[in-house]
This record gives sequence, C-alpha cells and structure tokens, in this order.
Amino acid sequence: MAPSRSKHANQTCVIPGGFTVLSLQFSTDIVAQHKICVKEHRVRAEKTTQRPLDRTLFVLNIPPYCSEGVIKELFSQFGPVQSVELREKPGSFEHSGPKLAKYFTPAQKQRFRVGYIVFQKAISITAVKSHPHDVPLVVSTEQRPVWTGLQKWIHQYKQSFAQPDKLQEAVDTFMQDYDTRKEQEAERQKEEAEEQLEDEEGWVKVTRGKSGTKTRPHSEVSNQKALQKESRKRKRKELMNFYTWQHRNTQKEHIAELRKKFEEDKQRIALLRAQRKFRPY
Amino acid sequence: MKATAKEQMEQSESSHDEEDEGPTRAKRGKPEVVQNGLLRPVTLSRGDLYKPPTADELNQLKEAESLFHCSLLKMQMEELLKEVSLSERRKQLIDSFVQSVTEQLQTVPQTSDMELSDLSWLSGGVKVPFVLVPKAAKGKFHMAPPISVTIIGSYPLGTCTKPGISVDLAVAIPADVLHPKDALNQRYPRKRAIYLAGLAQHLAASPAIGAMRYSCLHGNRLRPILLLSPPGKDSSSFTLRLHACPPPGFFKPSRFHPQRNNIRTDWYTGLGSSQPATSEPPTPHYNSSVLGDMLPSAHLQFLTAVSSQCAAFAEGVALLKVWLRQRELDQGVGCFSGFLGSMLLAYLLSCHRVSNTMTAYQLLRNSLHFLAFNDLTENGITLAKGPDSTAPSLAEFHTAFQVVFVDPSGHLNMCADMTACTYKQVQHEASLSLQFWDDPTVDGFHALLMTPKPMIRTSDHVFQLCELVKLQCCCKKLNLLSELMDHSGNYVLTALPFILSLLQRGLGQRVRLLTHSLTPDPEWPVESDAPKHNTQPPLSFGLLLNPEQAASVLERGPPADSPKAEEFRQLWGSRSELRRFQDGDITEAVVWEGETTCQKRLVPRQLITHLLQLHADIPESCVRYIGGMLDDVIKVGREVCSTGEEESLKVVQSYDDLSRKLWTLEGLPLSITSVQGAHPALRYTQVFPPVPLKLDYSFFDREKLSRSLVPHEVKPCPVYITPIQVICHMEGSGKWPHDRVAIRHIKAAFHISLGELLTQHHHYTCQPSPTHLDVWKDGLVFRIQVAYHREPQVLRESVSPEGLLIVRDNAEAQALEMATMQRPLLTSTLHGLQQLHPCFGAVCRLAKRWLGAQLFSDDITEDTADLLVASLFLQPAPFTPPGSPQVGFLRFLHLLSSFDWRNNPLVVNLNSQLTAADYTEIKNDFIASRESLPVMFMATPNDKKVSIWTKQAPTVQMLQRVVMVAAESLKILEPQLMDTSQIQDVRVVMRPPLDPYDVLIHLSPKQVPLLSQAVDPPHATFSRGILAGRVANTGGALPVIDFNPVTHYLAELRDAFGDLALFFYDPYGGTVIAVLWKPKAFTPLPFKTSQMVARRVEVSGEEAHTVPNVEAILEDFRVMGQGLVKSVEPRTERWVV
Repeated sequence: MAPSRSKHANQTCVIPGGFTVLSLQFSTDIVAQHKICVKEHRVRAEKTTQRPLDRTLFVLNIPPYCSEGVIKELFSQFGPVQSVELREKPGSFEHSGPKLAKYFTPAQKQRFRVGYIVFQKAISITAVKSHPHDVPLVVSTEQRPVWTGLQKWIHQYKQSFAQPDKLQEAVDTFMQDYDTRKEQEAERQKEEAEEQLEDEEGWVKVTRGKSGTKTRPHSEVSNQKALQKESRKRKRKELMNFYTWQHRNTQKEHIAELRKKFEEDKQRIALLRAQRKFRPY
Repeated sequence: MKATAKEQMEQSESSHDEEDEGPTRAKRGKPEVVQNGLLRPVTLSRGDLYKPPTADELNQLKEAESLFHCSLLKMQMEELLKEVSLSERRKQLIDSFVQSVTEQLQTVPQTSDMELSDLSWLSGGVKVPFVLVPKAAKGKFHMAPPISVTIIGSYPLGTCTKPGISVDLAVAIPADVLHPKDALNQRYPRKRAIYLAGLAQHLAASPAIGAMRYSCLHGNRLRPILLLSPPGKDSSSFTLRLHACPPPGFFKPSRFHPQRNNIRTDWYTGLGSSQPATSEPPTPHYNSSVLGDMLPSAHLQFLTAVSSQCAAFAEGVALLKVWLRQRELDQGVGCFSGFLGSMLLAYLLSCHRVSNTMTAYQLLRNSLHFLAFNDLTENGITLAKGPDSTAPSLAEFHTAFQVVFVDPSGHLNMCADMTACTYKQVQHEASLSLQFWDDPTVDGFHALLMTPKPMIRTSDHVFQLCELVKLQCCCKKLNLLSELMDHSGNYVLTALPFILSLLQRGLGQRVRLLTHSLTPDPEWPVESDAPKHNTQPPLSFGLLLNPEQAASVLERGPPADSPKAEEFRQLWGSRSELRRFQDGDITEAVVWEGETTCQKRLVPRQLITHLLQLHADIPESCVRYIGGMLDDVIKVGREVCSTGEEESLKVVQSYDDLSRKLWTLEGLPLSITSVQGAHPALRYTQVFPPVPLKLDYSFFDREKLSRSLVPHEVKPCPVYITPIQVICHMEGSGKWPHDRVAIRHIKAAFHISLGELLTQHHHYTCQPSPTHLDVWKDGLVFRIQVAYHREPQVLRESVSPEGLLIVRDNAEAQALEMATMQRPLLTSTLHGLQQLHPCFGAVCRLAKRWLGAQLFSDDITEDTADLLVASLFLQPAPFTPPGSPQVGFLRFLHLLSSFDWRNNPLVVNLNSQLTAADYTEIKNDFIASRESLPVMFMATPNDKKVSIWTKQAPTVQMLQRVVMVAAESLKILEPQLMDTSQIQDVRVVMRPPLDPYDVLIHLSPKQVPLLSQAVDPPHATFSRGILAGRVANTGGALPVIDFNPVTHYLAELRDAFGDLALFFYDPYGGTVIAVLWKPKAFTPLPFKTSQMVARRVEVSGEEAHTVPNVEAILEDFRVMGQGLVKSVEPRTERWVV
C-alpha cells in the first residue's frame, strides 16, 4: 500500500456526488461483495449534537445482517467509534417517545439501511475515505462471528420468552409513569383554567391561547354532527308533495332515472359486445 | 401454463400503461363512454335527462322496466340472438350447396334388381352404415334416382343456430324400391341404409362435395344419415344431412302402433320356433324409428304454419336451444333436441299457454315454466287434434315409453328414446332456472344462457361404466331379450333404463337427481363399417346428492315381518340383515362401511357397485367412480384415511371448552364480553387442521428459566405447532387509558393475569407475552389475544397543533380492526355456513391447497379464498350448492378463471343480509370508483365499499396469473377426471410450473417442518420430536410454538429485497422458494441516497447510475438462510452481469 492513495483511482473509488465506494463481504470465503457508499455527514440544517458535522460518517447500503454492534466493530479499524445509528431512510435525527421496556419495542424490519457513524476523532473519516476499494470489509470473522439463518432464528426464539414477573414489572413501571404524567397534565390544565378566572376586582387576565389549553378539544366529528343535525332539521320542515310542480318534478326525476339506467345498460352492452361476451359457447 | 409469468407481467404492465393513455386517445377518436373495457359512471347532461319524453320512448322505458328486471336483460338477449343466428353469407353458401347436391342426386343411375343381401354392386370402398345383424334378410333392391329432394328441419323454419349448423335434406326413396311389407324385420331400415350407401357412392365422384361421413339421427342406429360438407375452406362452416325417407304415405301409420310387433323373434334369434304372431312382444322403439321417417315434411308444414302466426317463434326456439345446449341436453340419444323445443312451443301456442304476440324472452320463460311444472313421464301431452281412430291413446303410449309427447299426426311419440331421468333433468334445470330468473340478485341472463354446465361441474359425484361390452351380460341377466330386439341389438340403450331405475331405487333419498350422459351421435367415414356398440365413450352418470342423507351408513328397511321386507331383501341381497335398533324395532337394514366423513361421502359408491354387481352382473372393475379423486391431497390421518373433518371438529371442541373456561374465570379486574375464534381451523377451513400432539421432551433443548422447550440447532426442525388465535374482548370501562401505548401495557397485564388464572384453576401451561397469551391445552396451542373495542378508535385519533381532535384512518387501526373484529366475525359466519353445507370446509381446503401448491398463497389470502368458496355456496347459480369437495373445487377454479373482476364486484351475501337494493348500491359504488378499488373486489354485508380482504393483494399482474393458471388447471383436470384414456394423476394441477422463475432457492428438507404436507409425499421423513399415544389434556412443558424457519426466512427476504424481487413459496411443505426479479427494478437508476438498496454504482462520465448487485444478492440469499438453504440456483442469465 505504499503509493499515495489520491493518485490511484483504482484503489479508492470516488463517484460523482462525493461518495466513496467501499466493498463489504460477509465472510472471507465468499466472493460476492456489496458496495457501500460513504461520505462525511454534511447537512446545514442539522442542529443536534448527536451528529457532530466533522466526525460523522454517512453510510449507504448496509446489509440487513449488520447490526449496530457489527458496524461499530467493523469501523473501529479506522479509529474509535463513539456511536452508530442505523435507519431505514436518510433523515434528520429524531427523538423517540418515552423509553419502553424491551418487550414493548416493535421488532425492526430486516432491511438494507443507512447509517450515521460518529467517530471520536475527525481523522478517522479521512481514514475511511481513503480505504482501498479492493480490500473488502469482512462482516463475520472467526473472532466475532455474526449469526444468520437458523442459528439466529433459534436465538430469537429463545429471546422471545418473557418472564411473567419481569413483564408485570415493566407494565407496572410504565403505568405508574403514565399515571404521574397524566396527573401533571391535569394539574397544569387546572392551573391554566384558574388563571383565566376573574380575580377579586373582576379583572380577567387574557393570555395568548396555547395549544392544548382547552380541557376538551374540539373534535372534527362533533363539528360535522352539528352540521348534519341542522340540515336534517331543515329537511324535516320542508313539504315534499304539496305543490303541483313538486309532483311534476318527481315524475320527471323518475323518467330521468329510467333514462340514466337505460344509458348505463347500453354502455354495459357496448362493453360486453366489444369483449365478445355474447358467445354462449 | 407454459407462458412465463414474467411475460405475463410485462404484458399486463404494458396493457396498464395503455390504459393510462386511454382516455386521451378515446377522446380524439370517438366520444364513447366505454374505454378500454372499463365501465365508467354515466354522465348525462341536464338537458338530455330532463327533456320531455316522447310517447315512444316512454313506452319503451316502461316495457323494459315492467317486463324485464331491467332493460339490460332485453338488450343482452338481443345480442345473444345476433350471435347465434346465421349470417346472410352463410345462408347463401348453404343455399348454393343444397342446390348443387340436389342436382347431383337427380342423376343417380338406375340399377337392376338384385337380392337385398347382395352388396357386390357397391364399389369404391363405400360401406353400408348399418350393423347387419342378423345377416339374413329377404327382399329385392335396386338403386334409382329419388323422387324428391326437400329441405326439412330447422333451416327452412329459421330456427337453425350456430354452432354446429346442420341442414337437413330429405331424399325420398322411389316407391318401386320398397315393398309395403318392408316395415317388417328391419327390411326397410336396411334398404334405406343401402340406398344411402348408393347415394354416397354416387356423390363420392362429385368434386362439388367435400368430406362425406355417416352418422345416425339422435344416435339411433336404425336411422343412419349421410353427412356432407362443402369442399374447400368452408368445409367446417356447416354440414348437410341427407335423410332417406319413404315416399309420403307409403306405410300405413297404424302398422306402427306401439303395441304391435314388427320384428319376429324367430327371425331375430335365427331359431325356428314359430310363435303365433299374437304372442310376439311389441316393438315400440323400432316402430317409432320407422314412423319417424315418414313424418318430417308433415312436421315441417305444421311448424311453418305455427311460426307464421307467432312473430318471435324462431327467436324463442333459438333461446331455448341455447339453454338446452348449455346443459348438454340437446345432442345424443334421447336428447331434448331443438326439434322438440319447436314442438313444445307449438304445443304451448296451440293450447294458448302463450300468445302469438309474446316476445322471445316471454316464450322462453313460459316454456321453462311449463317444463318445470308438467311431468311428461306421468301425463303425456299430444299435439294431435282429433286423431284418427287407429291412433294409439296416451295411456298406450305411456305403457310403451317413459316420456310421452305425441306429434300432430297422433301416431308418433317424439320422446320415444328419452329416459325418464333425462326428462327429470330437464325439469330440474327448468325449475332451477326459473328460480334464478326471479331472483333479482342473480344475473339471470348469465346463469341461464351463458354458463355451460358440463356434467362433471354440475353433479356432485359422477361414475362411469367403462367396458360397455359388459352390458351384454347385463341384458342377459336382466332377461331383456325382447327389449334388445326392439332396440335392434343396441344393448347399451336396452340396459340403460333398467340400470337407471335400479339405481334410483337403491339410492332413494340419497340423491336429489340422477342424470346420465347422452351417448353422442357416432360419426364415421363412409369407407369404414358402422362402429360397434361398444366403441362409444363410457356411459357417465351424475348424482346430485342430498347432503343430509347421502353420507349415512345405514339403510333402514321395513320391519322383518312386513310384506315389504321381501322386496328389500331382494334389492340388497346378502347385504341385507336383521338388526335391532335402540327404539326396540327389529328391521331389515344394510350397513355400509365408513368411519370418517371422507369415507362416508363415498357410501354411494359402495352402494352402486354392490347393486350393479348383484343385479346387472357389472363387475366393480367396470365402474369408475369419480367422487373423491382429489381427497388425497388434503389427507391428514395416518391410520384412518380422513380429509380433516374429524380433526377440525376436535379443534373446535377443544376451543369450545377453553371458551367456556374463560367465561367462568373469576378474579379479573374487568369481565370478558366475548370470546371469538379467529383462525381458519375454527371454521373448518384450515388445509391441514392442527392435530393434538404428544411431545418427546428429550428431542428438545430447554429454556433456562421457564423450562420451555426450544429447538435444537443440530437436530431437524421440530414439529410445527400452529397457534390458534382466539380473540377475547374485555368490557369497556373508564379505567382503560386513552393512549395507544398505555393500552398495550394494560393488555399485557391482562395476558399475564389470564395466564395465571388458567394455570391456577385448570393447570394449563401458559406463556404470556405483550401481544398474546399462549395456552397449551389438549395437545394444541391456543393464542389468546385480549382486545379492547375502542382501541382502533384511539389509534385513529390525533390532536392537531390547533388543538382540534382529528380522526384519520390509518393502516395500523385497520389491521387491528381486521384482527380483532372482522376476522372473528368472518370466522363465526363461515362456521355457520359449514353447519349448513357439510362439504364447505373440504372445498375451502382443496382450494387453498391448490393456491398454495401453485405458489399463490400470499396473493389470495386464506380469508379471501374462504370467501370465494363461500360465494360458490351462497350464490351457486346456475348450479346447486356443491355437494362434494370435488365439484366445489372445480367450480372454484371456474369462478377464478371466468369471473370478470374488472367490471364486476363479487358479492358474497353472507347470512343473506343483502337485499336487491344493496346489490345495486354496491354495483353503482363500484363503477363510480372502480380505479381506486382493489383489482379483486369482494363485497360482504359488513363491507360494501372497501373490500377489506383483498385490499393488499392480489396485484393486477398476480390476479392475471392466477386467472390463467386456474383456467389451465381446469382444462387439465376436467378431461382427466372424465376420460379414462388419460394419465390418472390429479396431482398434475398441484405441481406449479417452475420455469418462469429466475432463481430457485432449494431448502434443506430437514429444516422444513411441514414437509409431510407436500403434494408429492417426501421420500425421507425426519424425526421431529413427537411420540405416538394418548395426549395429556393439561400440564407439561410449553412446546415450541409457531417456529417455522421458512417463514422467518421469507419475511427477511421480503423485507430486504421486496423492492427487487417477488418471492413465491408453497406454505404446505414446499422445499423450493421461487424468486422472480421485478423487471422495473433492473433499469439503471440515477444515483440517489434513498434508492441505494443492494445496488452497485456504475459511473459513466459525470453521471452515476445504480443497478442491482445480483451476485451479492444471490450470496445474501445463502447467508441469510444459513442452515436452511441447500442451494441457490439462478435459472435465467438475463440479469446476471
């Protein structure tokens, strides 16, 4: 590996778009390689501290059998890795909701994913980008084998057992947490409601309406219901068969209905005829 | 099946593309509403809709509304008539050909007199179309030109229809060729046959005539006809049938009274025992066949007179003919021919049952009504008005014939050859048709006139008599010499009525209808001898079973001391024995073998073979019974042969027990409001129902804490245990949280406490998990899921930033609703259907086995398949609900292949909740929003607009493929079932063609737990950790549940490569996963970060493109399925770079 890397395009492969292509193979005895594309993470709008701009590597096309741990191991040859985040689609960092016990986190799909690898040092990024294209990264080695197939499924099956008491405990902690959150919410609403009441001198403090201030939110359904009720009321009051013109109109409607049906049938026939559907045999 | 799936997909995709451009093109071309075969809602302008109607239009609309269900039917009939009527061009062709043949016939040379038995003058290899048995015949014969050649039959009457156009030409034999006494001893029929041979010899030289063949009229060997087809390319467009007839009035009709004899026994048998003429047996069939020759021109005159009175006569007859033809009733021996149809209409007109001004539609309807409610086997009808004194009475006709319909002359019974069974079939069909016609929810036109009803798809069971020679012995055994003489040696026709009545007696209440195939008219070239009677295809009999009684193993006879007992013993022979019953009666009885439902279904077979052997000397080897040919593929039992009914019942019983126990549980914070099954096994439609299992604990590893069994890595995959879903609804309460995550936690808590209670009270092994609770009971696993009825609602709600509560439907809520509400409802509804129709479950299982074997399980899901089958039972028109798994399966294939999914919704009227108005509503909604609806649209009472079961699958391409494979399977299966000469292996339709697929992933059989369910049973079997013996009801370690490596593997493959390829697998023991690359995925795409999935980058200049990295993907197939995959076989080089 003596010659300088930048001059020899056959060693590092950079494609338009600024990505460097690396090879990845499952184990050493397998010839076929996946091509993964890496690039330093550079998004202007990103504010979070989870992905520091100079130390984050953006990786495309990570095969499904590479978990976070595997990727961490794989890339630590370029320098110590701080964190690895694997996602189905590239995008900004998202906070997940309240932390759930392992039993309640939904199972992940086995897809090809994109990754954000945060190194401890910025120098590691250049090390990755100058990694020769024809020296593949190896996922599963003898030192750290990666389980796939039957072994993995049996392992998963073993893991799927939930101890009833542990599960109960998880449920209890969550529900306690949930209840306290509910109470806090109720407290807050109560306070806000109180704030809007008159004080002794008859003054009301008018605040700018915030979201969730009302005790019961309007719902779309109730709005619609009200409207429907109104129109039904109006309809009930109307006289339908009173005037001559109304009678005439219903007759007219009837004929129009028949005509429409006739037209429809004609269309149907034309279609069937076009499809030669009248050959009985 | 040969066409590759891929081609299909491409085709369909291209057709789809065309569809997208469709509207623009149509706009340019013609302003049609119909575009590309898709119905669109009609839009009429206001002006068009509301303009004042003219009187004419008003009448037309009113007529359409009041006479027909809708104007559609009227228009459909008009179109149909256009299809079957003859074109002007064809008529011209016929006329000119008739002209030339007539001219040819006038030039037949005169020959000198010779003996009748001397046939040496016939040269040129032309043979006489007659079986000359016995050989001896007296009389002289010579050829002479005919005295007249006239067109008779349907053509001059205008009732001739496509297809199989035949024009009848009557050739009158000169009087000097015949002798008045010729009616005796087959002399006249022989002379006629020889005369025909003479004509054939003369015509053979003519260049104006194409192929010449012999046939016989309605299969009657005494009435041979000569078929002429025009030369050249028109040869198949029509046939001319030459009938030789005696000159008018040559024989006295009174000679042919049905009680007179015209064939002498001593002549026929060749024995010299001369009996006095009075004791000779009557020969009614022979008589009517000679008489029939004398009357065609009279009949034609009569019908012409009638049809000139009634404008729609010809059209009415044409419709009736189509109706008969679809039911296979219009051809062969003893058929209800078009001629009879005309005569029937004439009869109805003459007795004022229909009026002259009626339309074709009304004529058809009235004639069906007449047929349905009048039994000609009991009360014959006659067209003769004031017949002469020599004519026989109706009673005399009835003694000689089974069905009586006398012609205008009063001497001839036109239904002479018809068996009572055939007439009963006509009656049955007519009343069935009327029923469908009156039902506004059925497309009457389609059911009556457009759907063919071949016997194998109509009858529940079919059996065939193969070696017809054996019927000769049968005639001997039944002592039918005089009848044999009457039928001039045709032992098949002689024995048939007797066999039929024997079977009718034996089957009794077990069958609703016994039908038989009509022997088709034989056809043979003029150069060969008339075929023997045994060369005709096997006789087929169809049974329409009575579901309540058909499968009963007991035939209870009269008490031992009653006079009828003797009769019963005579019928059943040695099988009849005295039995004492629980109610104390001692009666004669016959008990058939049969333990399981599948064996009991074949009781009619035992009965039929026994009766035929006993009374008709027909050995069992001659009877080919087609009733349970397909049962093999869904067989489950190891010791006793069974098709899963008993196993399903056991599962249901165990479930009922569990449900009762759940109801009575005490100590839950909220009470249970309902327990519902949501698994196919609980509605009898699981292909291979779960079987109680006893486990070999030493086979498994143990989980450390709970001591549950887990699979062992080195050993074969353990037996697959299906979890049977049970949905358990909890009562609503203010305590339920209004938050999706919290509800999930509460449900988990319920699973835990339910499990605890069940273990505590009933000692079941339980394993709770957040999503369900597994209960190990009676060697089965039930998976209880707690449900809260407001949860879908909670999932749908969200609060907008403005604080407005919005309700939006989403996939998660729909999936939950489907699992906890719709599927349990469907399960209980279909469970009810099974109680009504005992073979519903078996049909579902066959259908799903086929779908699985053809790798369609993921496209037509279990629920969809069950609904499809349910529709066969709920709306069987034009059939009756299937009475055996086999016929149900055939109709399932037919439904799949023939239903117009594009323009019609399939309405499955579960519990008959939908009214006619609902149907119209569904149809209108469907047409209005066709494009946004699933390709396969099925409406049920609870789901009129969405078609929830087919929303996800199938896609257009897959549906197209399913339709094609179904049609192909049907085409292979039906002939195979009916034809003895084909290879007898029904499994052919269960073996999918694998050549269209790009990659095959072969799995190691050791790790496929369901291997034993494969269509072709595997050679090697593996020990999967089960023991024989009694299954404990409670306790024991939790087994390995729902562990199937193949499902895991498929899920991973679909997750990872779903965008690039489709994966197909037979869930019932398949060892191959077939992979089809998606053509679209292989077009190079510009490089994009979001589309970089298993792809390689190719750089050309400044642009980077990506293509799938096929090599690495194939390697991934291997890697991801380590331990399960045996080999990956790329079959097409198309995508490998």
